[in-house]
Amino acid sequence: MTTPNGVATTTGELTLVSRQMQVREWLLAAVFFLCAFVAVLAVALIFTFVGYKALPIVTEVGLWPFLFGRVWASSEGLYGILPLIEGSIVVTLGALAIGTPLAVGTAIFLSEIASPGVRAIVRPAVELLAGIPSVVYGFFGVVMLRPLIGRLTDGIGFGPLTTWIILAIMIVPTIAALSEDALQSIPMGIREASYAMGATQWQTIHKVVVPAAKIGIVDAIILGMGRAVGETMAVLMLIGGAAVFFEGIGSPMSTLTSQIVMDMGYSTGTHRTALFAMAAILFVISMGLVLAVRLISRDKE
Amino acid sequence: MDKRIANNIALAILWLAASITVLLLGAIILYVFYNGVRVLSIEFILTRPHGVNAEGGIGPTIVATLYVTGLSMLICTPIAVLAAVYLAEYAKQGRMVSTIRFAADSLASVPSIVMGLFGFALFVEAMGIGLSMLSAALALSLLMLPIVMRATEEAIRAVPRYIRWGSYGMGATKWQTVSRVVLPAAAPRIITGIVLATGRAVGETAVVFYTMGQAIHIPVSPLESGRPMTVHLYLLAVDGINLPAAYGTALLLMIMILAFNLSARWILKRYRKV
Amino acid sequence: MHSALIALLVVCIALTGCGRGGSRAEDQVIVTGSTTLLPIAEQAAEQFQGLNPGTSVLVSGLGSSAGIEAVIAGTSGIATSSRDLKSEEEGRGLIDTPVAYDGIAVIVNPGNPVDGLTTEQLRAIYAGEITNWKDVGGADRVIDLVNRDEASGTREAFKKIVMGDAHFDRSSVVLPGTGQVRDVVSRSPGAIGYISVGFVAPRFTSTLVKALRVDGVKPSEETVASQEYPIARTLHFFTKGEPTALAHRYIDYVLSDDVQDGVVIDAGFVPVTARDRL
Repeated sequence: MTTPNGVATTTGELTLVSRQMQVREWLLAAVFFLCAFVAVLAVALIFTFVGYKALPIVTEVGLWPFLFGRVWASSEGLYGILPLIEGSIVVTLGALAIGTPLAVGTAIFLSEIASPGVRAIVRPAVELLAGIPSVVYGFFGVVMLRPLIGRLTDGIGFGPLTTWIILAIMIVPTIAALSEDALQSIPMGIREASYAMGATQWQTIHKVVVPAAKIGIVDAIILGMGRAVGETMAVLMLIGGAAVFFEGIGSPMSTLTSQIVMDMGYSTGTHRTALFAMAAILFVISMGLVLAVRLISRDKE
Repeated sequence: MDKRIANNIALAILWLAASITVLLLGAIILYVFYNGVRVLSIEFILTRPHGVNAEGGIGPTIVATLYVTGLSMLICTPIAVLAAVYLAEYAKQGRMVSTIRFAADSLASVPSIVMGLFGFALFVEAMGIGLSMLSAALALSLLMLPIVMRATEEAIRAVPRYIRWGSYGMGATKWQTVSRVVLPAAAPRIITGIVLATGRAVGETAVVFYTMGQAIHIPVSPLESGRPMTVHLYLLAVDGINLPAAYGTALLLMIMILAFNLSARWILKRYRKV
Repeated sequence: MHSALIALLVVCIALTGCGRGGSRAEDQVIVTGSTTLLPIAEQAAEQFQGLNPGTSVLVSGLGSSAGIEAVIAGTSGIATSSRDLKSEEEGRGLIDTPVAYDGIAVIVNPGNPVDGLTTEQLRAIYAGEITNWKDVGGADRVIDLVNRDEASGTREAFKKIVMGDAHFDRSSVVLPGTGQVRDVVSRSPGAIGYISVGFVAPRFTSTLVKALRVDGVKPSEETVASQEYPIARTLHFFTKGEPTALAHRYIDYVLSDDVQDGVVIDAGFVPVTARDRL
């Protein structure tokens, strides 16, 4: 970025060539800018389009009855999404509670403990875990985990517990990879200073390294949370599809994402508007989480 | 408590966490492999599903998946790479750059169901493209865009400065330097990013669910619809009747994604030293 | 307004068909209606076109009412319907051809001592009023309700025949597929669910479920075909007056053993030919 355009313009001959070059270079820069701007454009388009489809909910149902209505029963014309919001919260918090220790533990292990040989196995495994499609996780949950949980809870096996476990496995790679990056960015000297003072490896980890990488780890957890809130197919296949409030870890519930897919196929009119409004809420939540990460990271600087 | 005992307990717990993570991956892969390998055959890969319970093979769904993935890669790659060139080489840090970065981060975290509904509302309905490969590819490329953008930007930034200085010193313009020096040097990592993003597109379900349609059909033109493997697996799984075919589809899907991941790794390893 | 839309849709479907196949009107028949009948009508159409090159049978699922409306309006050759004609639809010259029976079996775990329920008990169970098996003569165990999704034709029929005006208990599990309902019930001791009669016997699996007697009648091909079993309905093809030659051939094909012993059974329905065997 130090040399905006490399060609000097001292002699007349060169200036002529340069003018042409300069115009071309400028045009190219403009094209690149437009490409970069596609991202902004896309977000704006999603926001306006989903918002446009969702907006009639304010007049057709009303914002308050929609957000705080306690009954979701589209066949009876009741569109209260409070139970679905509760479902999304229950599912997300449970998955985080199970997944976070596992993920952060794995990240610390990778960054601080593992020998290069072990690391060469664990790190790719974590990355592969991230690559498995959510529908495969859902399928695995339905055929393998669901009967097991059903026997354990003496019920059917659809519900928060099954969803938590599968969702936790799904968010581990996200949180682990980002946490490891944060841990790796801590300078070696800090660790050496800790060891020099006679600290054990664990003392160094939990008193020095982890606190130093705290912001990066929190960011990782927030992004994992975003993945859990927005996860659709696996949750849909495991949560049980009953739009009711929490009744127990083995009782079916429903979430914003799963209800959208369940109903989308046959919805019309206000029902469909409500589904788009739920999508709009999900979009706002995901953007809010990204914003939170930015604000936290900015504080660091 | 003796700090050495505390140390050993804590280290054991961390070992355990990492072992669980690896074991989980092993369990899922083994389970799907064990159940899926029995139905896997050349016939299963090549023939059409028939009958109400989708007996037979899954050929058209494989074609549809590869088709839509390839198309979205074609749409996404040029835009994402040039966008990254702008961010890494041209842009001055400022409000515009941070807006673009924020947009890219947001795009990366949009829940796939929201992207699916958006694609349905904009491409399928408003733009009238209909349930088609093109609609799905457009929606998918938005999902891939931030991934490829970030990988490319990191790759470009990893190219040492002095290489650029050498180019500028020889009188090259900025674009000449970027296109002939920086991008070739960054190519392996860019390709790795593209391959990984493509792997993500192969496994995507919620987005294609509402943009591609579900008809079992071998697509020829981008305006035709088709059923991708992920949607086929979902429908088989929730229907729950022909589970053997579901296992087979899941296994093939995992093999494809594994292949994408391994080839990305291979590209990186093979060319890094060059 | 609504019917105009349907007519438009049907015309669109017809036009796209013409464009692709380039076929004349007499080589083409449009089949519109019930989503429940969609698998039968579609599979049969595919096979029929394979056997009769140059013909085109265009099938779409818009709902029974839409199909009947389209046939009355003349925009569609055949209506597929999962219900009988309503009084206002009678006397419009529609000819009824039953093509299959749809019986819905109520299933429980094989270990459940309960063998039968009345329709009233079933309604109370699915409305969430009876929640323990001991209240219907079983063990002291909570009833785990398994329901189908709202897009399901099986749910629609179950609601209409069993529930009447009562609402389903919203806390029941909602599953989008027959096989899943069957699998869950086969593994959970307290579960109850409902599936098409044809899926009670195991397919692609070895797990078992028990079909309950409803009002004392055991669901079977015979009791469904004879309409003794209460949770059953007839699936119809309607034409306005005598069908065109091609429509006639297609209907004959649907009634042939190729379809009746093939798709009809695969889709979990009872062949209309079962009636003749009574």
